[in-house]
Amino acid sequence: MSTNKGGGGRATLSEINVTPMVDVMLVLLIIFMVTTPLIQQGVKVNLPETKAAPVEASDKKLVVSIDVNKRVFIGEAEVALADFEVKLKANAKAQQDKEMYLHADRDLPYGIVVDVMAAAQRAGVTNVGMITDPMGASKASHDKDKDQK
Amino acid sequence: MFSRLAALLVLVPSFVLAQRPVIEISGANFRPMPVAVAVPLTQDEGARAAVAEFDAALSFDFAACGLFQVLDRKGFLADAKEGVTASSIQFNRWTDVGAESLVKTQLSSDGASLRADLRLFSVAAGREELKVSEAAPLKDARRLAHKLANAVYKHYTRETGPFETRIAFTRKTPSGRDVYVADWDGKNAQRITNGDVNVLPALIPGGGVAFTSYRSRKPFLFSAQGGGEPVSLIAKGSMVTGAAFSPDGKRVAVSISEGENAEIFVANADGSNITKLTDTKFFLNTSPTWSPDGKRLAFVSNRAGNPQIYVMGADGAGQKRLTFQGNYNTTPSWSPRGDLVAFTARDERNAFDLFTVNVDNAKVTRLTQDAAGNEEPVFSPNGRLILFTSSRGGSRGLHVMTFDGNNQMALPMEKGDFTTPDWAN
Repeated sequence: MSTNKGGGGRATLSEINVTPMVDVMLVLLIIFMVTTPLIQQGVKVNLPETKAAPVEASDKKLVVSIDVNKRVFIGEAEVALADFEVKLKANAKAQQDKEMYLHADRDLPYGIVVDVMAAAQRAGVTNVGMITDPMGASKASHDKDKDQK
Repeated sequence: MFSRLAALLVLVPSFVLAQRPVIEISGANFRPMPVAVAVPLTQDEGARAAVAEFDAALSFDFAACGLFQVLDRKGFLADAKEGVTASSIQFNRWTDVGAESLVKTQLSSDGASLRADLRLFSVAAGREELKVSEAAPLKDARRLAHKLANAVYKHYTRETGPFETRIAFTRKTPSGRDVYVADWDGKNAQRITNGDVNVLPALIPGGGVAFTSYRSRKPFLFSAQGGGEPVSLIAKGSMVTGAAFSPDGKRVAVSISEGENAEIFVANADGSNITKLTDTKFFLNTSPTWSPDGKRLAFVSNRAGNPQIYVMGADGAGQKRLTFQGNYNTTPSWSPRGDLVAFTARDERNAFDLFTVNVDNAKVTRLTQDAAGNEEPVFSPNGRLILFTSSRGGSRGLHVMTFDGNNQMALPMEKGDFTTPDWAN
């Protein structure tokens, strides 16, 4: 940790530079925002809040969740990130729709979200809906959920 | 409380009946049902050895029958240890892989016999739709799987499935060709002949197989029952070929060559009372096939200059040309449903491909294209599938597809040179 202190930018680059990858992916993937209320998921995730105009979510689509501990779920089933692409490629629902909803925690590092999206794209899922919370609209209902539990 | 229970008891059966889906196989809106076939579970060491064979047979039946889209197990999300009852299954995990129905089987064995319990679930409803239990000798794991697959087929279509039927075919040997009879998927093949050249097998309704054999001086018709030595059935003219038994098993139609021409004859199934049906000097009439009611025959004739499919009454009356497209149409097989005749045609690019022609309106439909040579179609006993030979795998092998040309699959057989399949109950 301390070796980097004042290293003058000579430190080894230990992380993948995701910027070019994201550039490519933005071209290949169709990304849209999906509002949360329709999506009922078992995986607990704090969603990012956005002002972007949301698309009406369909509860029939495949939902891929990433929780704050970087665990990846297809539906409610946890899958290793290494297996994610294979699982998605063999998933009839994803292959038919070419679409999935990404339900990722807002506190996650960008890198892991990009890893999942890149794997989805390699598996042929070209439409990714980013599930977001339209300006905390669902916060109230979240809190209500908590109260009920 | 009691009255409520009674009301439930009355309501539940009618509700279940109303909800039971029936897969309509024909029609433009047909879509194979996505089915997840879970790996069979077993606790018995004795049953473990049979799991792979059972599983392979069950999966192939579902995949090849054309009703289902069998989902890739690599995508499955459920726990491998998930139970086999509705209450222990996490149905949303099956929804997430796109499954509409789920098949779970449990195998057990007492050492000599294998018992299988198959459960079929509707994934959306989260409900058990069907439970079947069957047992068979341990060595017949595949046949046990076919029996259970037939139960599922019947559940969805209310028709008898093709999985417990038998097929016949010939296989090239170093010295000639032998006739084999096998299960519908080509497994459990029994060699009927031993040496010489034996061709054009025809399964006899009720058991046994007839074929043209060069074992005597001339190629005549022989039959073999249950592993016994072949016996002569029809020996007439210079060659007897293309035997086909009537659906009731009482008569046999053959083509007999005499001099320059070949004519269609019908005889009793034991070869007696042989009657000539066609009489076209200098032309060939071959490959007879029966209509399901046994009242008509389709056959090949070159009386118009090139081989075409013709239809006539079983007494030879009313001979009428059926195909007018192309200049080389052979090996007809009349669908047991009655409406179609499948045949091999050489198209304008000199490729052999399969077609059907509607018996009533002569409408021709192409079934295969751009997949090497495809020949010698024969309908399944329920008329839903067609077995044929194709050279797409390098050597000539047996393949199966739906009657409209969809879902073409190779039978799970080792490579070899296979020809002239037949298919019967």
